[in-house]
Order: sequence, then structure tokens, then C-alpha cells
Amino acid sequence: MSRRLLTRLGLGMATLICVYVVTFLLVISAPGNPFEGAERNMPPEVVRALKARYSMDSELKYFFQFLWGAIRLDFGPSFQYHDWTCSQIIADALPVSAALGFLAVGLAVLVGVPVGVLSAVKPNGWFDVTSLGFVLLGISLPTFVTGSALLIVFAVWLKVAPVGGWGRIAHLPLPALTLSLPFAAYVARLTRAGMLDVLGSEFIRTALAKGLAPRTVVWKHAFKVAFLPVLSFLGPAAAQAMTGSFVVEKVFSIPGMGQHFVNGALNLNRGLVMSTVLAYATILIVFNIVVDILYTFVDPRIKEAT
Amino acid sequence: MFRTVIVVCVVLLAAILASYRLAEEGPQADFRYANATGISTLDPARISHSHDIRIAINIWEGLTTYHPKTTEAVEGVARFPVDVSADGCVYTFDLRADARWSNGDPVTATDFIRGWRRVIEPGTAGDYAMFIVDRVAGAREYYAWRNQAVAVLTALHRLADGWPIDAESARALYDHAGDAFVRDVYDGLEPTEPANRSVRPARSPAGHAQDADDRWQRLADGLASSDHDWRAAHEGFFRLHAARRDARFAAVGLQALSRHRLRVTLARPCPYFLDLCAFATLVPCHASIERLREQVDATGLTSEGLVVYDPQWTKPDYRRNGYPGLITNGPYRLKVWAFKRRIRLEANPHFWGLDRLRCRTIDMVEFADLNTSIMAYEAGDVDFLIDMQVEYDHELIRMARSGARPDLHVPVAFGMYFLLFNCQSPTVKGRPNPFVDARVRKAFVSAVDKYAIVNNVLQRGDPVTGNVVPVGSIPAYPSPPGLGCDPAQARRWLTEAGYPNGEGFPPVEVLYNTDSQHEKISQVLGRTWEQELGVRVELRGKEFRTFGDDKVNRNYMIARAGWWGDYRDPTTFLELFATGNGNNDSGYSNPRFDALLDRAAGEADRARRLALLAEAEAIIVQEDLPLLPLFQHTNLMAIKPYVRGVYPNPAVTFPMRYWGIER
Repeated sequence: MSRRLLTRLGLGMATLICVYVVTFLLVISAPGNPFEGAERNMPPEVVRALKARYSMDSELKYFFQFLWGAIRLDFGPSFQYHDWTCSQIIADALPVSAALGFLAVGLAVLVGVPVGVLSAVKPNGWFDVTSLGFVLLGISLPTFVTGSALLIVFAVWLKVAPVGGWGRIAHLPLPALTLSLPFAAYVARLTRAGMLDVLGSEFIRTALAKGLAPRTVVWKHAFKVAFLPVLSFLGPAAAQAMTGSFVVEKVFSIPGMGQHFVNGALNLNRGLVMSTVLAYATILIVFNIVVDILYTFVDPRIKEAT
Repeated sequence: MFRTVIVVCVVLLAAILASYRLAEEGPQADFRYANATGISTLDPARISHSHDIRIAINIWEGLTTYHPKTTEAVEGVARFPVDVSADGCVYTFDLRADARWSNGDPVTATDFIRGWRRVIEPGTAGDYAMFIVDRVAGAREYYAWRNQAVAVLTALHRLADGWPIDAESARALYDHAGDAFVRDVYDGLEPTEPANRSVRPARSPAGHAQDADDRWQRLADGLASSDHDWRAAHEGFFRLHAARRDARFAAVGLQALSRHRLRVTLARPCPYFLDLCAFATLVPCHASIERLREQVDATGLTSEGLVVYDPQWTKPDYRRNGYPGLITNGPYRLKVWAFKRRIRLEANPHFWGLDRLRCRTIDMVEFADLNTSIMAYEAGDVDFLIDMQVEYDHELIRMARSGARPDLHVPVAFGMYFLLFNCQSPTVKGRPNPFVDARVRKAFVSAVDKYAIVNNVLQRGDPVTGNVVPVGSIPAYPSPPGLGCDPAQARRWLTEAGYPNGEGFPPVEVLYNTDSQHEKISQVLGRTWEQELGVRVELRGKEFRTFGDDKVNRNYMIARAGWWGDYRDPTTFLELFATGNGNNDSGYSNPRFDALLDRAAGEADRARRLALLAEAEAIIVQEDLPLLPLFQHTNLMAIKPYVRGVYPNPAVTFPMRYWGIER
């Protein structure tokens, strides 16, 4: 077990370094000049001196400088927001996105799993067909549509929620709901597929033949196995939800991570882009390792194999 | 069972994380207004975005400040009347004895000199450095001297670290380092024609010195491969420069005559100088900032010769090295700055006009999406909305104009939308650039029906213009009429220029930054030129930064542009087309135009001065056309009926000291 964990951690580090190198190459090949606005111009001497000061006059120097900084969690200055460092921006935004993401994934599991199980129990029944409809809507409706619709209904018409922003508990439900819809839909579909698969297998027939109550068979025996694909989906999904969604953050004016990646890239804010990518990669790797560990608890066969 | 465990875990974790960042907002502010984009910086020396300026002019107070309706200069820290010398060049300001910083310290003349000096020091200098460099006596010389030194120090520092330098840096070393070794290496190179020595590499802020003289590159290579002691050279130059700096600055026309008396000597008379003094760049700076200076052994400079402060100094709660957090002298002080969320302003308890402030607290709430901020306004979460540039704004404007929504206001702005022609580069990306010929530019301007664009495409009712200076924006300024729409005349001009019916005309590229409005306008213009002039037009939409880089480097034929006036004088627009102006992206140069601006600058009589400026504008909008003026911007803003003291003015400047709520 511990050897397996160590291997996974080592691989994770290697992946992280690969991600850094690739992002770095992409970032330095982006055209344009981060010190130049579009309307007013700076003297060239000063641009050169600033580049030298922030190690941007040599890519090689910048590569190692940023790496050394990143190890100490110091991601350097942010040229787009002069008064803040990249580390401060990430430290400010990540908990916001993480809170929202956790809530969204939690909601997705809470709604998606029962829906999936119930529709698998009676395939093609009325519940299955209706839920399929909702699931399709959840997957195909873009979040900016669902988000705006929720805002108009609950914030502007009914006035039961604030219009966007962050700072009170009341700010949470609408964006969390918006963010969770596509995840919930996926979870429901995965659970349904898994359950259908398992319900047809022999050990379920045996259990039913033994005279166990159908409820026990479904939840205790079948669900345990059917949940595995959902679990492996939840790792990357949680990482994705936690690192923020540009669209949901924009619609609800949430100061999360998603906007920093997009705006950082648009404004050639190298440090911010690389630090958001590294943060995302780290979280993704950590969650995959966590899911791996959870697997060993859920599925004893894996423990035996190692 | 374990399903329950997972759910409980997730909910618990979410609750923990949520409580961590969902800190208590505090009591609701007296006044709330919405801001569309993030604050870039609150450092007055670097500030340039209107959102940032809006905060800055209220937490700091300059020598003068703005009238809420007309934005004219009114008394700020300086008492009126200001003593101005007969030649209009020497201003002596008497500062209010009761002007106080937010920690209770008195605001002194030295504080102003400290603030203004930051504006022209390389490292802190920003977009508005020219406000001082162009106007205060001796400032231009000091600025140039400092920038040269920065170029030399940066190059020496790089060489000392073993990195190669570029041709421009080599040239700077040769010109300004006074280093015998550099001259020896230069003299050791093969001789070139003396004429070539004066060739300056093209201005290239992006660092690609395309036209750089080969000789400077060889000097750069020669220096980099030599075994000269660059560290000692850097050290020597650095010490000398740092030691001379204060003496050089003493020649700049800023003098503290006493604690509360400031004398400003201008290089030339500037009739709108008191207007400039209200601007966010020209505010004082509290001495505590010096605790956050990054420097080599108390020289005040970094090894590149820059003046650099810890950029966090603008935070109200920043503590380091005894720094007490941001101290300002305006009617309000910064209480909370929650990044990307909100800014809370609180009445400055030491402000001299404290008893006249109507709001104790003001919140600026940030909305990433304009649609959301409009919803927040409709829901009553904010009282005042400044930006409403949404896809359906023409509908809102229609409602405002028809009186259906009296809370919506549509003031005409002190800003222009235009396109620039590249008047300078003979070729653009390998193609000959026909726009160096004024007749071609005139043809392209007069072929365009601006009303069609404004009425059919934008539908916002922005006033169409043929001018550079917004018509009617400056009292008594006689705006000259611009070129009208005349496709037949346009074709004649194009024929005169040697392209009958557009034959032989190279494909034209229109450069714009990707944005639906710019794209629509470029499409219509392209179609017009294809139909009326028979030329082929290609549209090139680029991402903002790349677009900016292309524009500055004149890597375009026609480019989208615009300008917002900074002070109430025609020169705020006209100087864009002066030879050598850092913002002259068209590369336009006409000695007659420059001479008129020059004469106007020396003219004391207001009417005669404005006439000279109008004559200069006529050259641009009637004869030379370095730009295609399209329309004057209009602003759309929403002010709740119970709000008092917010006046929609063209400059979109809102002094908060007048803001109030009366329900």
C-alpha cells in the first residue's frame, strides 16, 4: 500500500514538472508585450529595465526563477493587478472556488446517485424517462444559460437571493446549483449504467433468490459495485469544480480561480497563468491519488492485488 | 453506509471552506456603486484606468479638485486664488493648514513634491508621466537623464551577470556610460559612414529591434564576449548616478517654499494647469511609503537604477518594516480592499471638510459581468451603475431618451472613437503601404457614411463626428468642420493618387481588437471601401495585447483606436498627432501642425490660443487625415432616483464628497 502510494506520488511530481515545462513553453511563445497597454506607451528603456528586474529578459533565467519561486509558493508579481502578487491572488481565489466546487460536487452526488439508482431499478419506467430528460438538459444546457435563468428567477423576480457576489452564505446556493447541474447529470448517468450492469449479474440473482429484500440487494450489494465508475469520475470532477469555472464565476461575480486563468492568459500575465495551471494540476493529481486510495476501501480486490 | 459517510464529508468540508472565505461583510454601506472590471492599481503614479481613477480622486486630494457638475477645477488642498506669475509659468500654491492625512499628519508641500517625483521616476512612472514631464520646468531633462541611466545600468547589470545585451543597450552604453572601454571596443569595429552612426534603431518597446543598426549589434556582441570587469563598471556608474540624483532633481521646477507653500515652475504657460492639478496622478504622497522602498544601500535605487516600492503599499492593512498601511489625504480613506470583490471607503476622520460629507461609508462592488451588475441594480443591491456597455444597450438608451426610464442617463462623453491610418511605414508586412499618401487617406475617409454605422450598426445614437476634439466640449473653441461623406470625391482622390477605380491598390488590412462592436464597425467599413473604392479589404481581429503591440510598432495599415480626454483643453486630443508624441501611433508628422501647437503653447490670450489650436485641428481633419473620425462616445449610466450629488458629466468624474442618499 505505502509503496503504491509512493509510486503514485513520484509519478505525480513527474507529471507536475511536465505540466510546468509545457505551460512555460506555451506562455513564452504567446505574442505581445505584457508591459504595453493598448492606448498609452511606456519608454523603451524602462520596459527593458522592468523586464530585467522581473527576469523576463531571458527565458532561461525566468524558467528557473519561477520554478524556484513556485517551490516556495512565491509566484512573483502580477502585472495586470500591480498591487497584488500572484500568490496572494491564488490564496484569495482558491478557497472560494474550492468551497463552491465542494458544494457543487456534494450536491451532484446527493442528487445524481439516487436518481441513477432509481432509474436503473425500473429501466424505461416513467421515472427513468423523466430523469433522462432532466439529465440531458443538465448536460447540454450551458452554465451561462442556467446561471442567468436562476439569477433572473430567484434574485430579480422572487428576490430570495442576492444578485451575485461573495461574502454571505446567501451567495452560495445559486452558483453551487448551477455548477452542480452538469456534474449531477453525469453522476446520474454513470450510476444508472453501472447499476444496470450489476443488476443483471449472477450474484444479484443469487441474493434475490436467497430471499433478501430488494432494497437491501440494490443498496447493499449492487450499489457498492456500481459506484466504482462514479468514484473514478468524481476525482477529476472535484478537481475541476474546485479550481473554478470561468463562466459560473463571471455570471455570479464570484472571485474564484477560473477568471484568473482566462484573464491572465488574455493579459499575458505569465506568472498568473502558470500559477493557476500549477494549482489546477496539483489538485487534479492529489484527487486522483485520493480516489485511488478510496478504491482500495471500496473494492477489496485492489487491496489484494497490491 | 459509506455513501452517507462521503456525503457527510463533502458537506462538512464545504461548510469549513465556506466559513473560511465567507467572512462577515460588516454593516451595509451608506452608498453602493457597481464597478465592472477589477482595479488594476491604486498607485497614483501608475494609475490610468477610469475605474481606478474614480477611487483615487476620492481617497487622495490634489492641489485642486473637481466641480461635480462641470468638472472644473475647484479648491482642493490649495487655497484659491492661486498666485500665478505674469508670464503664466510660475504657480505659487498656499496649502490649507487644516489639510490632514488620514493618520492626522498635516499635508505639506514636501508631500506633494514626493508624490509628483514618483510620477517621473523610472520604475514608478506610468501612463501619465507626461503630465509633469511635458509641463514642469526641468522635468523633461531629468526624466531623460534618468531613463538613459536606467538603460546603461540595465545593460551593465546584464553584462556583469554574463548575459548578452541587445543593440539598443549597446548604443545606450556607447552614448551615456562614459566608459572608455566601450568606446575602445566601438572604435575597434570596422569604420562605418559617419552618417550611419546617428541612425537610431526604430523605437521598439516589444524588444524586436527590426531596423537596428548592425553596428550596434556588433558592439553588443563584442562587449558581451569581452572579459572587462562589468561588475566594477556597474558599481562605479551606479554610485556616481545615485549621488548626483538629488542635485539633478533640484533643477526641476518644484520647490517647497515653506511647510505650506509650494512653488511650481512650468516650462511653458499652461492655461489648464489647475485642471491638471485635480488629476489622480498629481496627488501628494505620505512619507511612510519610504519604508517600503526597495533599494541598494539607502541609495533609493535598485541596481537597474529604478525607483521601486513594494507594490502592496496601496493596501489599507499592509504591515511591513513599520509601514502602517495606506495613508491618504482625501475625503475618504480605504477601509477594506477585498480583491475582486469590493472596496469599502470610509470618511477620513481628519479630512478638512468632514462635516460636509453626506455618506460615512461607500462600497464599490465589483461585478465581473455587466449583465449581472444591471440585475443587481434592478434588484436594488446597488444605487449607481457607471458602465452599461451590454449587447442590448441601444434598447436601454432608447428607454432613457423616451423618458420611460428617468433613472437612466446618456451623457455625451469626452471621448472619441476613430480609426488610425499608418502614415509613416513605407511597407507593412511586405506590402507597400498606400496610406502614406494623404490623398488615399482622404479618399478612405470621405467614402464612409458614418450615419449608416451609427444608426444601423450601433443604434446607440452616438453623435457622428468629423473632428478629433469633441465638438462643443470646450467652451469657445471654434471646431473646424471635418470631411463629409462624398464617395464621388473619394474616387477622384483615389484616382489622383494613382489608383483609378482601386486598380493596383494593395489589399488593405483593418486591425482591431476582438470585440463585437469593433468587429461590426470594421465589417461595415470594409464593405463600404470595397463597394465605393474598388479595393480589397481584409479584416484582422486580434487579442487586445497583441493588437496593442502591433499598433505601437505600426504593424498595421488601418487600426481601430480611440481616445478619452484627460483635461478640458483641445491639446488633450491634438497632441496625439504631434511629432514624437509617445502616443502618436499613426506616425503622422507635419511641421506646420507642430508649429501651430507650439505657437498656441506660447500664446497667453485664450481666444487667440484656441483659434491657433482650431487651425491645427483643421490641418488634421480637412487636409491630412491621419485618422478616420467616426463618432463621439456616449455613456449610459443608471442612478437611482433617491441618489443625490451624482451628476452625469462628460468626463465621467464623480467626486464622492457630494454623494448622498435621500429616501
